[in-house]
Amino acid sequence: MRSTPPPAVAERGPLAAAAEAFRLGAAQTLAGWPVLIGRCLFYVLLMVVLSGLWDKVAAERVADLARQAPVGSFVLYVGATEWITLSIPALHLKFEDDIRGGALDVHLLRPKPYLLQTISQCCGWAFVRMLALGATGLALLTVSGRAWPSPESLAFMGVLGALGAVTGVLLYALAGLGAFWARRVLPFQLIVQKLMFVLGGLFAPITLYPPVLRRVGEASPFAAHLYWAGVQAIRPSLSLFLTGLAWQALWLILLSLGCVGLWRAGVAKVLREGIG
Amino acid sequence: MSSAVSVQQLTKRYSFSRPGKGLAGAFAPERVTIEAVSDISFEIAAGERVAIIGPNGAGKSTTLKMLCGILEPTAGEARVLGLVPWRERKALAYRIGVVFGQRSQLWGELPARESFALLRRVYDQDAAVFARRLGELSERFGLGELMDQPVHRLSLGQRMRCEITASLLHGPSLLFLDEPTIGLDVTAKAAIRDFIREHARDHQETVLLTSHDTRDIELVCDRVIVVDEGRIVVDQPTDQLRRTFLARKLIILRSQAPSLTIEMAGVAARPSEPHTTVLEVDTRAARIDQVIAKALALGGIDDITIEDPPMEEVVHEIYAAARRR
Repeated sequence: MRSTPPPAVAERGPLAAAAEAFRLGAAQTLAGWPVLIGRCLFYVLLMVVLSGLWDKVAAERVADLARQAPVGSFVLYVGATEWITLSIPALHLKFEDDIRGGALDVHLLRPKPYLLQTISQCCGWAFVRMLALGATGLALLTVSGRAWPSPESLAFMGVLGALGAVTGVLLYALAGLGAFWARRVLPFQLIVQKLMFVLGGLFAPITLYPPVLRRVGEASPFAAHLYWAGVQAIRPSLSLFLTGLAWQALWLILLSLGCVGLWRAGVAKVLREGIG
Repeated sequence: MSSAVSVQQLTKRYSFSRPGKGLAGAFAPERVTIEAVSDISFEIAAGERVAIIGPNGAGKSTTLKMLCGILEPTAGEARVLGLVPWRERKALAYRIGVVFGQRSQLWGELPARESFALLRRVYDQDAAVFARRLGELSERFGLGELMDQPVHRLSLGQRMRCEITASLLHGPSLLFLDEPTIGLDVTAKAAIRDFIREHARDHQETVLLTSHDTRDIELVCDRVIVVDEGRIVVDQPTDQLRRTFLARKLIILRSQAPSLTIEMAGVAARPSEPHTTVLEVDTRAARIDQVIAKALALGGIDDITIEDPPMEEVVHEIYAAARRR
């Protein structure tokens, strides 16, 4: 048999396609603007409830909180963590759908890596949501007569929040890649969510924890996802920013390696056994 | 003519665990192995249009997946465009186009144009070449404004035109089509078949198609490979297959009378419900229009349907014939 000549196409790296997937993800979120507005309203509702709670806690000086941070800063903390949480798309469900529903076949037939493409697309979704929710949060602060975070705090929160969102996307990606072995990824999702509450400091900063628990929490990927961005609302500082950045960089690398490892093992399984 | 696809003794077995009987069985599952594709060999020349047909579970899709590179065989060898598909999947991806009739490669909530733009990046296509190809396909397929509507708002036929366009935008020389007309109405099916046949002819593309619809095979393919229980039972030109096995049609007449009797050479009645008459017509001996004219002359006809015999039936017949030989 004679083989046909190689293709004339000049093969490029995966980044241009990943950038296009990111743009597509952003366009998809904008295309679903009513859902985006609904998400912003949900954020408002959450913040009204949680700011009431934290105002009361601070006013009554429960657990000596007021000495740890200025009154109102816990509201900003929760605002930051909810801002990140609500920006994360349900990537684990997309993986579950694609892997269990058979759409993965179509993606495996393409020359660019599905994992990078899908994560880039999710980051595109998250990017638009972060802009919309961020604007909503600042508007809410203005309407409710609260002070905005300082410019320094906003800048630190912006960087750590964006990286925290990517960390969250990777955490959910790990949960979603479980679909190669389990029919449903809900158990993995619940584990990630509960740890996000407990170690990520979703509602309360982990600085309030006893020292040992605090150190465990700070070193976890869940803190890289939420806490390090949120804590800038309470104590904005360059050293905390750099510490948070270092933890995030570490976890972004480890989680990426984890995703690639699971992906390769999962694809090897699919190539061997088929989907299902 | 060089081979586009070469398959040698390809075999795929799946193994899975099945719980044993009783309480003890739950702790000692039984290992079951199924042979989905069994020792098949064939060659497809460049530019040839070939159909793989067979009943559900015959091994068609498994074969197609192995040739696309998304399933590893248990044994045997295959080369597609000179590449081993499951080892050189990425290199092969640039050179093949794939359409799964029951799966979409487009993004549902976005216009097809956006999906096409992403596919340009995915396949590293030059912008000018891509624009020219898209223009040609859009004109040939009448996509026009369809490309700017969200894909989920398109009809199944419109979506399938976009799916096939998406699979051709990178200029593949081999097209894999898995049930490309499934669920489509008669007009949409005809448009898809015409397009595939003409595009493949004009661009010297090789086509490998699976379908349950015998018209797909008759109108698109030059050759048919029939598989059953993972084995090739017939591999012959479509003309020959048509003469021997596809020369039958079913005419279903719904009538006010409980039954109708039509006496013609080449026409046989099949058992059916009251007020329904099913006629099996050998088109080599009787013309369809003459049979219908005779039925209409009897009067009291409420509805007439013309169908191919079910593929399972055709394949069963082919398989029986193969065993008799």
